[in-house]
Amino acid sequence: MFKKVLIANRGEITCRVAATLHEMGIRTVAVYSEADRGALHTRVCDEARWIGAAEARESYLNIDAVVSAARESGADAVHPGFGFLAENAAFAEAVAAAGLTFIGPTPAQIRAMGDKREARRLADAAGVPIVPGAEGADAKALVRAANAMGYPVIIKAALGGGGKGMQSAHDAKHLAEAIEAAQRVAASAFGDESVYVEKLLEHARHVEVQVLGDGKGRAVHVFERDCTLQRRHQKVVEEAPAPTLTADQRAIVTHAAVRLAEAVKYRGAGTIETLITREGHVYFLEMNTRLQVEHPVTELVSGIDLVRAQIEIAATGKLPFEQHEIKRHGHAIEARLYAEDAANNFLPQVGVASRVRWPDGPFVRVDSGVESGDAVGVHYDPMLAKIIAYAPTREAAIERLLGALDDTRVHGVVTNLPFLRALLRAPAVRSGSYDTEWVEREFLAGFAALMRAPAPDLALAAVAIAEASGAPLSKPTANGAAPAIDPFAQLGRWRQAGLAE
Amino acid sequence: MKSHWRDGDRVREVELQPLAHGRWRVRVDGSEFELSSEAMPDGRLRLVGDGGVTVAEVTPDGARRFVRLGVLDFVLERAGSGKVRAGAGGHDGGLSAPMPGVITKVMVVVGDEVTRGQPLLALEAMKMEHLIRAPREGRVKRVGASPGQMVQAGAELVELEA
Repeated sequence: MFKKVLIANRGEITCRVAATLHEMGIRTVAVYSEADRGALHTRVCDEARWIGAAEARESYLNIDAVVSAARESGADAVHPGFGFLAENAAFAEAVAAAGLTFIGPTPAQIRAMGDKREARRLADAAGVPIVPGAEGADAKALVRAANAMGYPVIIKAALGGGGKGMQSAHDAKHLAEAIEAAQRVAASAFGDESVYVEKLLEHARHVEVQVLGDGKGRAVHVFERDCTLQRRHQKVVEEAPAPTLTADQRAIVTHAAVRLAEAVKYRGAGTIETLITREGHVYFLEMNTRLQVEHPVTELVSGIDLVRAQIEIAATGKLPFEQHEIKRHGHAIEARLYAEDAANNFLPQVGVASRVRWPDGPFVRVDSGVESGDAVGVHYDPMLAKIIAYAPTREAAIERLLGALDDTRVHGVVTNLPFLRALLRAPAVRSGSYDTEWVEREFLAGFAALMRAPAPDLALAAVAIAEASGAPLSKPTANGAAPAIDPFAQLGRWRQAGLAE
Repeated sequence: MKSHWRDGDRVREVELQPLAHGRWRVRVDGSEFELSSEAMPDGRLRLVGDGGVTVAEVTPDGARRFVRLGVLDFVLERAGSGKVRAGAGGHDGGLSAPMPGVITKVMVVVGDEVTRGQPLLALEAMKMEHLIRAPREGRVKRVGASPGQMVQAGAELVELEA
């Protein structure tokens, strides 16, 4: 087993991976950019190494810097987390070339699945149905293909993932603009502007299957997750099991996923994403060759630590368990907390999360990357935390998650918390009757009206009373440290003045 | 003590008058009520009014106040602090960056006639591209950014004239 592992990431996933490594008695090395000096993920690891400037391409995407840090720290393996270099074949190769173990699939597997066009071919060859789609040398060819296929269509980055850069178009007129925008995001996020076009399956649900492979042709699945609640192709709420999946559909998706993983001799943890149409047809979307953001819901219903499984497979080349040993029980649901202003077109927010309180209580899990006083910067993904609840039934899990969100408080940076709370209270979410476009098509308008409502008079009164109490308006310091003085400590004076008793 | 707070699109006025024994007379946009307040050991405020007891937590952040009332969250901003919410809108013919980021594309040049909703620039921040669109018809008077340039929130990007 490994003695020391470098985690080539930041934020909540670094903290999450470190927790398992520490439990296994393995020492941890964090890396950080200039912007993340003193960040939570550097504090939870045994050591931390500076790898470059704030811009991701200078630090977290800088293969040489990360591999050097790994070598210099004496680590014997590297865990990539998700995002950044997690699905970069050149990085996996560089780690191996430095004599270290990459905790993940082979470079060839990353490369094959990373090119979504190649992934479609592999799925097709393994007998997994794929969404009708087309490739094209240029925008004109793509428009011609889309015209032939019929609208609406969706444009995706060939080397993309995680919904980034996806654009849908409902007619030829908007397609050209959408292709250009998708190409720009693809070029900047993935270093390659190639895009392809797929038929947009309307009224579909997003169901994905967690697989683990030994790299020699054996694979198991850890059931499915439903990630249908999305906004702009970004997952917002995920759950396991998928609430609307029939036993037949579950058998189809899990068998197809295992078949594909075995066909490519997949190594480590991966996810096969599918869309299930209203008519019940299953279509392959893509395979993600990494741990997913939403992996905790699978862990809660299966009792399997997926990070531990990744590490054991990387160290031993064996699956830690057989398919028949993998059981599922109860329901888990996760909400992603983002630094976004839901009242203002979900614009990403920056600042200092000056006062943060995470929920606790039985069967509530929080995977977070910030604590009170931590800075939320412009350079990286605005996800702050994932809040996950487990219960025997879906209804009880939603109820428990709502309670946990009620107990969540982030001040100093605007978050999407009001959006998450309203979303989980929506009758359609409670009854499970929605599709991947439902949030934008039906939920957002009503939610926007809610956000436009005036704050209660009591909120204004509270602000005025806090001001009148003479609380100093301490500003967070430039380096992102918490205000040295809690303004509310000053309320003592108020008491002395006889106003509070 | 009178103060003004931006609450979404509107500006709210609150007037506070201290009474005896921790009680206040509060007037918000003309409606008046009384309540008493008490600072809890953890810094939160316990507000007691006709409607019962509410726990409030107020965190200052520059001109903004994050308010948690029971389990609900609000963000108010001191009005007259000079900060204008740009959003996708703009003001006085100018269009400013809604957030810090990198300009990835400039689609207009000075003198262009633009229509409402037409994309003017693309701004990338936090891995997402945001199109800055014209809030109304007009002619581009000035372009204050070029591709690849890093801009701060509030930076004037495009100026339109009627």
